[in-house]
Amino acid sequence: MWNMQKNTRYKHSGIQNILMDKTELLKLEITALKIRRNILRLIKAGEAGHVGGALSSVEIVTALYFKLLNIDPANPKWPQRDRFVLSAGHKCLVLYAALAERGFFDESVLDTYGALDSPVPGHPNMHKLPGIETNTGALGHGLSIAGGMALGLRLDKSPARVYVLMGDGELAEGSNWEAASAASMHKLDNMLVFIDRNHLQISGKTTDVMSYEPLDERWRSFGWSVRVIDGHDFNAIINNASEIPFEKGKPSLIIADTIKSKGFGFAEGKVNYHYWKSNPEEMEKAEQDLDNIEEQLKEKMERSGDE
Amino acid sequence: MNEMLDPRKTFGEAVIEAAKKNPDIVVLSADSGSGSGLKDFPSLFPGRHFEFGIMEQGIMGYASGLATTGKIPVFAAIAPFVTARPFEMFRNDLGYMNQNVKVVGRCASLTYNQLGATHHSIDDVAIIRTIPGVTIINPGDPVTIKKGVNAMIEHTGPCYMKIGSPKMPVLYPEDIDFRLGKGIIVKDGRDVALIGTGTVLSKAFIAARLLEEAGISVRLIDIHTIKPLDRELILSTASDIGRIVTVEEHFITGGLGSTIAELCSQEYPVKMKMIGIGDQYASNGPYEELLGKYGLQPEQIKETVIKFLNTK
Repeated sequence: MWNMQKNTRYKHSGIQNILMDKTELLKLEITALKIRRNILRLIKAGEAGHVGGALSSVEIVTALYFKLLNIDPANPKWPQRDRFVLSAGHKCLVLYAALAERGFFDESVLDTYGALDSPVPGHPNMHKLPGIETNTGALGHGLSIAGGMALGLRLDKSPARVYVLMGDGELAEGSNWEAASAASMHKLDNMLVFIDRNHLQISGKTTDVMSYEPLDERWRSFGWSVRVIDGHDFNAIINNASEIPFEKGKPSLIIADTIKSKGFGFAEGKVNYHYWKSNPEEMEKAEQDLDNIEEQLKEKMERSGDE
Repeated sequence: MNEMLDPRKTFGEAVIEAAKKNPDIVVLSADSGSGSGLKDFPSLFPGRHFEFGIMEQGIMGYASGLATTGKIPVFAAIAPFVTARPFEMFRNDLGYMNQNVKVVGRCASLTYNQLGATHHSIDDVAIIRTIPGVTIINPGDPVTIKKGVNAMIEHTGPCYMKIGSPKMPVLYPEDIDFRLGKGIIVKDGRDVALIGTGTVLSKAFIAARLLEEAGISVRLIDIHTIKPLDRELILSTASDIGRIVTVEEHFITGGLGSTIAELCSQEYPVKMKMIGIGDQYASNGPYEELLGKYGLQPEQIKETVIKFLNTK
């Protein structure tokens, strides 16, 4: 279940052009596991949360915070930093988990999730926690804010880039398409958007609820340069993200196919784990699944040591 | 006779003057630049003007993002389309994120008189003032529009300014002391406090004179900043005079009168009368006639005040 599939479905798989050696890849996989453990830690504290979309985007967020973003946890407001906008704000558990792991704040903050005045609310608040760039949560806001950041950075001739993570259910908000048109019109090639296409939203399959397929063609028709990848494949994420702009003068978009609730076997690909109200039995299963991943990674480590 | 000036032209000139001094000012347009007196901005400041077409919701986000990089975005368009339409973007992207963005609703209140209720904005103060941290400026003459623009640029934080469309009389000398959050006592009096704001401030000026001629002593106040409200001035007026009449080209629900009533009813209850538009969509027609339909002409204000003073 867990091992990275060498996927040939995707034109931009990242296999052809390996930027990372095996050790680095393994390190990222270990980090992704820690981030999944942090997500579970948050759920343990708050007893419930938007776990499905947080887990489906773990590899994307791990790649961003541990490979792609030019950031300094000791100086979170550094003007030349790359920006990360979490448009689908309900995926915030993965952001808190990654920021803690990257050292933006002490991990014990995660244990306050769900408590009165916690700095890690159910949707992110930039005034409460270092490293949070935007107050998202209402869907369809992030892309236009990110566009404004990209415009401002370009005006300052800054080399910094703006990265955005959107959900696929979120795309039904019309404001996204205003933002997408404007990013293309203003030639914002200093921004990269990931769509975490986990194919599910609260009421069912995204294509049954309100289909925006074919997604790649739709975005291309809005003037974006689009690639489609396996969103759990670190090589594909990093190699493609390292090639932006995909076309000069166009904003770049990666449609990342993912599995909702990836990593928690009992919940993978199931619609009713969009928001998970945990129970002791499932908590134990989740722990077990993460332990299994750890075992697999240990074996992988030993094998690579033997080579 | 007071000089009559175009509020949009006055606004545009003030923004251009400010932009000459402050390189952080950028202008965002929803196909609305020329109608906001900013036709010359793109040629005067190339690279600092961004056209988006008619997409006010998206522009709010772009403005927020620009502000995160230290720019001071000024976004002017038809008032209902920068308030009611993108309300959630105003609240979340500007208010909640506390971004230094200046939103200007022009052709505000009933000044798009003929265009009907879709284009009137007589609810903008009511909805925007629910957003914590937003400063709301409603200047009543060209001099205070100009001063309001400068004060808004100097202030750090989200602002909403509303201006009208037809030419309006100059009411103040150039050296009037204008400070955000501080009302102006235009003239002092004993019998009643007449408090006006925005496009109908000039009507309150004339009404005050008519009342004086009828032997009623009026304290005339201009509340150009509705939020934050000048609490000190309102409470001292309540205690000095004890009777307050508000005049605004806005719904009575949630406007200046409501704002003052929220304060006085809790801290110094006094008798009040609110002149504005009731719970109905405003009609269409010639601007002055439309104001007359809602009791906002000076003679009508005078009569309402006299009737109010005669009630026990």
